[in-house]
Amino acid sequence: MLNPLRSEDEAFRFLLYAFVVIAVVVGLVLALRALI
Amino acid sequence: MEAAGIARASAHGDHGHHGPPAANHSSRVEAPLLGMLLFIVSEVMVFGAFFTAYFFIRIAQGAPWPAPGTQLPVEVAGVNTAILMSSSFTLHRAHKAIKQGNRFGLKAGILTTFLLGCTFLFIQINEYANIGFAPQDHAQQTIFYSLTGLHGAHVFIGLVLLLIVTIRAFRGHYSPEEHRGVEVPGIYWHFVDIMWLVVYTTVYIL
Repeated sequence: MLNPLRSEDEAFRFLLYAFVVIAVVVGLVLALRALI
Repeated sequence: MEAAGIARASAHGDHGHHGPPAANHSSRVEAPLLGMLLFIVSEVMVFGAFFTAYFFIRIAQGAPWPAPGTQLPVEVAGVNTAILMSSSFTLHRAHKAIKQGNRFGLKAGILTTFLLGCTFLFIQINEYANIGFAPQDHAQQTIFYSLTGLHGAHVFIGLVLLLIVTIRAFRGHYSPEEHRGVEVPGIYWHFVDIMWLVVYTTVYIL
């Protein structure tokens, strides 16, 4: 399991996943706002 | 007298051990990992307190964001986000380089990371100077400066750590076997980067 506190490698991968998740959430929220 | 001392040492089970007693590992988690875990958890709670204030103002009180008559520099902050993300990438490359014994890669990567971090902080200070409102103007402005300022303080601490790592890298202190001095500040730097993604998203975009 990914543990961002264990090593720099895992922290970097966690950062990339966080970036993707945040980008998707922002995209969804902005799309919903545009529709409403 | 001496014989009595030896007899007492034997009675306490001291069989030639010198120096302080061995460290007691009461936790099943490794000490460096546990330390980093506690540190990051405390940091998340600090940021959590500031985010609570932000969400209270914006959602519980329903205050407009940003305050009427003000504008946040979304594009400039977006460029700054790209700069900070790039710095995490260069740090990752630097760490990878030293693990493979590439000292030049470490030095180039860590110096680039430090300079990108300085650029981020410089742009943020410049943003404060030109944004056109002060922390005391509205509650929204107070929380804007608090959240971005708290993050900026973390970047500053990260830059101090990176400066130490950079100096040590140029002095040849790291090797493929011994690179924890790059690894731990690296974890911290990536954490600061993740926090910025959350701050940028909530404060500037949404």
